[in-house]
Amino acid sequence: MTGLIWKDFMVSKRTVKAYLGIMIFYAALTVMGMFSVTFVTAFVSVMLIMLPISAFAYDEQAKWDRYAMSLPMGRSRVVGARYLFTLLIVLGSLAFALLAGATVAVTGKGDLMEVLVSALTTLAAGLLIADVLLPLCYKVGPERARPYLYALVFIPALGLFLAYRMGIHIDTSWLDRLARSSPAAVLGLFSLPLLAALALTFVSYLISCRVAAGKEY
Amino acid sequence: MTNCIEIKGLSKSYGDFALKNIDLTLPGGSILGLIGENGAGKTTTIKCILNLIRRDAGEITVLGYDNIREEKLAKQDIGLVLDECFFHDTLRPLDVGRVLAPAYKDWDGELFRSYLKKFGLPEKKLIKEFSRGMKMKLSLSAALAHRPKLLILDEATAGLDPVVRDEILDEFLGFISDEDHAILMSSHITSDLEKVADYIAYIHQGEVVLSDAKDAILDSYGRVGCTAAQLEAIDPRDILHTRRGAFGCEALVADRSAFARKYPMLLVERTTLEDIMLFVAKGETK
Repeated sequence: MTGLIWKDFMVSKRTVKAYLGIMIFYAALTVMGMFSVTFVTAFVSVMLIMLPISAFAYDEQAKWDRYAMSLPMGRSRVVGARYLFTLLIVLGSLAFALLAGATVAVTGKGDLMEVLVSALTTLAAGLLIADVLLPLCYKVGPERARPYLYALVFIPALGLFLAYRMGIHIDTSWLDRLARSSPAAVLGLFSLPLLAALALTFVSYLISCRVAAGKEY
Repeated sequence: MTNCIEIKGLSKSYGDFALKNIDLTLPGGSILGLIGENGAGKTTTIKCILNLIRRDAGEITVLGYDNIREEKLAKQDIGLVLDECFFHDTLRPLDVGRVLAPAYKDWDGELFRSYLKKFGLPEKKLIKEFSRGMKMKLSLSAALAHRPKLLILDEATAGLDPVVRDEILDEFLGFISDEDHAILMSSHITSDLEKVADYIAYIHQGEVVLSDAKDAILDSYGRVGCTAAQLEAIDPRDILHTRRGAFGCEALVADRSAFARKYPMLLVERTTLEDIMLFVAKGETK
């Protein structure tokens, strides 16, 4: 299984290098004060969570699945390797957010809480997208799963936009009050979506295993 | 001598195509050549052996293990080379070793590197820069590096030049010098199989139409060249298939010697696996 995770990292190396370039560009703009650190950490989280989806595309290009399913490890382990890769990406994103948070705390150029809350929220959203898309990639392949990705991203965004246009506002002043009184409680609260997404990852894994078990390669 | 593969009554239907009641046996220390036209069912048979597709009926035993219930055990001793190189273009041969090593309990990194060296494959070159021959050699190196007992090759020599093919065929012959080893080799290049195979199974439209020792087939089968009038005079029970062309007729016979004794005026020649395939696929039964 470790070999397959290593393979995912190796084939994603090129994409990561490209992302790194973009990250450096945005980091430079952030230092110049054109972007907030929050934006960059959120952006990085979303970019990284797309790596497992890209890995499916690379596998499809190499027709790797037929070979992988011929290895003596069973289909559930092949699927498990992809999920572990996803979780390692989440850990990497968290580490980046913590690093950005620490930088903010040391330099005093931003709100630490805002950075962490933003990272936790975007990671939860990103992992949720992965939870839905991974079984779909196993079922229909990465190409046909792509429209679902757009739907997952744009439908909620459109909903929020329409709600805003219709004058529906959600009162979030209680959050500010909570942040002032107990920052730990805010972090705990914003960790919940990520924890829920992690729990859903397990369900997603079981669904993917079922899909892979029934599939013909 | 134990059997490395035993297939009994294998059936698989796709609606417009069906694999029907396939029986095959691959004894240890031998090479079984699987021949047949495109879409005849060779790859489907191999996929069933590897449990990549669900069979409708039948039993498959690989190296004494049931291929579904004991899939992981069976696959530990299978080396696989398929018609394409499945390794990502952005990987290097050494990366392939790192990817596959944890999957096999007997993976030998040194052996893998020695095969890379033997086949002249640069360890650190990107796979996308490899020729087709190099890619197939890489697949073969990966297939052999965990010391398998059974090699399954699906069109592994297709598209390779004669020199590379010969090099790879030599490797196969070396592999089966161990009585516990065996090779199942599907190929369109029947001349390769005539060179190395011990047994031949011909799958035509999802059915095994011929299965025997290669030497028995080539020693026994014959091709008769004759005129249309001579063909008409032959007892239909003495010929298997016929072909009629602008310049004469041909017939495939199962027992060359017996035919020559019965029809001394007709010339019966040795035949090739390709001829047999052409007679069965394109010929007529009299």
